[in-house]
Amino acid sequence: MQKGYVLKRILYTVFIFFIVVTLNFFIPRIGVEDPAERYYPPQGNMSEIEYDIVKQLTREQYGFDVSTFQQYLRYVDGLLHGDLGVSFQPGSPKVADLIASRLPWTLVLSVSTLLIGLTAGLLIGSYAAWKRGQRVDTALLNASTITTALPAFFIALLLSLYLGFEWEWFPAYTDPNMVASFDWSWRSIRLVASSAALPILSMSIGSIVSYAQNTRNSVIAVSNEDFILTARAKGLPPRRVLYRHTLRNAMLPIVTNLGMSVSGLIGGAVVIEQIFNWNGMGTLFLNANNTNDYPLMMGIMLFLSLFALVANLVTDLCYCLLDPRVTVGGSR
Amino acid sequence: MKRFFSSAAAGIGGALSGIGGFVRKLWNHPKGRVGLVIALLLAVCAVFAPFIAPYDPYDVTQRVEKGLSPSLQHPLGTTITTGQDIFSMLIYGARVSLVVGIVTGLATAFLGAFMGVLTGYVGGLADMLVMRLVDIMLVIPTLPLTIVLTNLFGKSYFMIIFIFTLFGWTGLARVVRSQVLVLKNSNYVRAAELAGAGRWHIMFRHILPGVSHLLIMSTALTSAGIMVAEAGLSFLGLGDPTAISWGRMLADAQSGGALLFGHWWWIIAPGIGIFLSVFSFMRIGLAMEEIFNPRMKRSSGLYKLFRTLNNDYIQEVFDSMEEGGPGGPGKGGAYDG
Repeated sequence: MQKGYVLKRILYTVFIFFIVVTLNFFIPRIGVEDPAERYYPPQGNMSEIEYDIVKQLTREQYGFDVSTFQQYLRYVDGLLHGDLGVSFQPGSPKVADLIASRLPWTLVLSVSTLLIGLTAGLLIGSYAAWKRGQRVDTALLNASTITTALPAFFIALLLSLYLGFEWEWFPAYTDPNMVASFDWSWRSIRLVASSAALPILSMSIGSIVSYAQNTRNSVIAVSNEDFILTARAKGLPPRRVLYRHTLRNAMLPIVTNLGMSVSGLIGGAVVIEQIFNWNGMGTLFLNANNTNDYPLMMGIMLFLSLFALVANLVTDLCYCLLDPRVTVGGSR
Repeated sequence: MKRFFSSAAAGIGGALSGIGGFVRKLWNHPKGRVGLVIALLLAVCAVFAPFIAPYDPYDVTQRVEKGLSPSLQHPLGTTITTGQDIFSMLIYGARVSLVVGIVTGLATAFLGAFMGVLTGYVGGLADMLVMRLVDIMLVIPTLPLTIVLTNLFGKSYFMIIFIFTLFGWTGLARVVRSQVLVLKNSNYVRAAELAGAGRWHIMFRHILPGVSHLLIMSTALTSAGIMVAEAGLSFLGLGDPTAISWGRMLADAQSGGALLFGHWWWIIAPGIGIFLSVFSFMRIGLAMEEIFNPRMKRSSGLYKLFRTLNNDYIQEVFDSMEEGGPGGPGKGGAYDG
């Protein structure tokens, strides 16, 4: 039974992915009559015939010379071979290469944010649950209401104003050559770390508070379970009950959601990357959007959707494996 | 179709008369009152902006010396780029934020209610199709898609409202659907069916009132979430380029050198605007929920908003009403025992 569920779940994910691919292909094309014209706007010094030739060449180069449906088939065929197409950028770089070159820089931000948020959040959250109803707990509740209402980009601007410009603790703008000149030397690693400090800090504040609040609620929910009562009745020291029995179970829903959180963080980093001039996926996407670079836009959207889909799938399957209560069909 | 409209009108009329009662309940709730007062103040600012604001920021002739520091004439100084009065911009900015937030909240509630009642009550093929659609929409990254669509269809607040609504109804529809599935088998709906009432009549007169509290709560919480999202889009330059909004003020401040020259008032002012509007709507939504469902009392505001944005918070509220008490850690995370 369990195997059947896993298989069904995977097939369903593939089906949804196929639909997302289709939407991804058609949405950026809505309202565009001739992609060649968008890519290569008419130049003043060009005669009509010359421009027609240029357009025809552009169409052929980027595969717009066949019907939309044939383009779609070609696109799906390419995807099956792991080919995301070619960007409109000068030099026609491959979309997959562009994404691969920017992804690590976005991951630097999102993974550090996640780690900081998770570690600090677990500590603060379990402490607040421990002291539930006391001053720490109330402070956490107030902090969470406040940080939700403050958008991350506003926090980023404040940090940039004070820590960046006023007190000059960290660079407020990322060095545009940072990515190109990165060579794993001590100096460039330090440059990355100092430039990443403000973006990470501005994303972490919300993240810490949200993980803390989640942990707190989860810990309190778990501490009402019977096995906690048993552990306490056995006379175990309270600290041991908290760490060994409560926290382990309370972490389950938080840890299994990590995949979705990363996917959300990558998508949400667009604004933060723009503020700090950080060369990640967000800036790549904004540039692609400003230059009508569909293949690149499609590629990034597809990548993010795929990430979310796989994260969802993994979360579901993990639950099946980890939580004995979520059994499908009765077998473990 | 005529019957559809008359039933719909009656249903909506009933919902509107219920709102008066909700406001009264909200006023008697300490948290709700704070939210209500701030929201009303903001609404007054938005409606009477021309009378409250000392200058008209849209009027090119009322621009003065650039980059002034706060003074009696200009309580929040003037912008470095254009010499507009920042205090007046702040007041006018309330219009965009409130209109986009509230209209999207309402539109989402209507669409979510319609889809939820349809899938829950009619069921069958409609149910299957809509639920598959929900699965797909949950996966597509919303922010990038919104960026693409605003770029294609023009940068206007109408477009932003449209897109947010298009992608915002899914969570609410799921909750309404599960509530409707319960109501469908209740005695009064059965009685109405036996009495020969039409499908639309039952949906709007008997089922919709049963989910109205969910709709009102969702409107407030969605509005709060949308205000943050709108500010983010405007900040990226994807809002209406002719309108003054808090998000765009922040973008102008960043590009206009407020950071470089240390003009903190230019950054703090719109930030406080965003904060107050989101905070007040969140408070209203959370207070309503405590009024309707005392069991959810005192769990995190952030958590709730986070789940709302992920389209499954209201599902949890509903679950807690149904089951009574905490479930497993996955669902029970939100509840205090």
